[in-house]
Amino acid sequence: MDLMTLSVMFTSLLGEVQNEDVMRSLELMGKGMLGIFIVMVLIFLVIVILNKATKKKD
Amino acid sequence: MNEFSFLTDGVQYIIEHPNMLVMWLIGGILIWLAIKKDYEPALLLPMGFGAILVNLPLPGVIGDENTVGIVKWLFEVGIEASEAFPLLLFVGIGAMIDFGPLLSNPRMLLFGGAAQFGIFLTVTVAVLLGFPLVDAMSIGVIGAADGPTSIFVSKVLNSSYMGAIAVAAYSYMALVPIIQPAAIKLVTTKKERMIRMPYNPAQVSRTTRILFPIIVTLIAGLIAPQSASLVGFLMFGNLIRECGRLEVLSQTAQGPLANLITIFLGVTIAFQMQADQFLNWGTLLVMLLGLVAFMFDTIGGVLFAKLLNVFLPKDRKINPMVGGAGISAFPMSARVIQKMALKEDNQNHLLMHAVGANVAGQIGSVVAGGIILSFGQIFGMIG
Repeated sequence: MDLMTLSVMFTSLLGEVQNEDVMRSLELMGKGMLGIFIVMVLIFLVIVILNKATKKKD
Repeated sequence: MNEFSFLTDGVQYIIEHPNMLVMWLIGGILIWLAIKKDYEPALLLPMGFGAILVNLPLPGVIGDENTVGIVKWLFEVGIEASEAFPLLLFVGIGAMIDFGPLLSNPRMLLFGGAAQFGIFLTVTVAVLLGFPLVDAMSIGVIGAADGPTSIFVSKVLNSSYMGAIAVAAYSYMALVPIIQPAAIKLVTTKKERMIRMPYNPAQVSRTTRILFPIIVTLIAGLIAPQSASLVGFLMFGNLIRECGRLEVLSQTAQGPLANLITIFLGVTIAFQMQADQFLNWGTLLVMLLGLVAFMFDTIGGVLFAKLLNVFLPKDRKINPMVGGAGISAFPMSARVIQKMALKEDNQNHLLMHAVGANVAGQIGSVVAGGIILSFGQIFGMIG
């Protein structure tokens, strides 16, 4: 039984679950977490470079 | 006697709208939590009083067809028109944060990312419960563990649950000392909680401290443009703090500015706590989902630390509890981790590591908010 079938079978307290919304929320989860990690890794690299570049000068 | 009917009109109004009495009770509970339990009193008290204030007979503080009440005006100007209140509060928060522990140990940034997992999981859970995606995305941001971000995102997405989201965000932040230990113990062993981490901070130059807020703003603004205002105002506050030339402004941002905004933010948010909007099953579910978000944020951070440990040499293992500090509730989460570490081993001092992860969480949460908004734009929810 795939996710789509499960979600169609599921009727919540607030109303029917929208299949399209489920798929979009999963897309958001995958791409969102990836996006955060990309930003964090970039900031990490910036800090490492800044720390190295300014170590002796200051 | 009819000329004295104005004395009883208000009572008559309340009898006709008994839901308002429930909101008075909710307002009373929030005030009680603020005063008696010391749960985020700076926000819960104004929100509690505001909940009573906005549930009085009209026009009251809301207004009617002919007038605009003060709370409605504050909401329209301070939040609806420009999201000014939460953003201005970010200037104050930025001025309060010392990114030093993060700059000297930048790998903590990864936990600030991992501990946002609860946000995205909660969006999916909310959708499965039947919330429209736009509301689910707003509800998920409760997991940012950051009140202003939750308010900002739910406003931009125009969620009808903004009041409940704000109440949940601030209530659960106050409950971090209860939620986090439970979540951490669920996914760690005693042995893992006893891992020691020596603290040897690298020296951080002033140049780095000054360039950091500028570069973070550039990176976040380029990758997630919707986060520019959130990250930008946070980092602007931090730049005022770190530049070394604006001590008076820094103190003003940390103190009077943050305090002034805080006083009015709670009452203004209460505009969304009018009985007819607030009292529904959705509100109860929002409160429940907020707990899910906080729990899985913590679990996300902890599990990510455990994953890293698989690849790290024995002497450089990370205490997985530090990962849990990657949520944004600063500095409460770091203190919770320190307390838990000392409880397991009274010589294990994790505070500075946890503070590093915690301030990384502050960045992670605003970036997550920006990413949610970017997707809101992609999905056609934002005009």
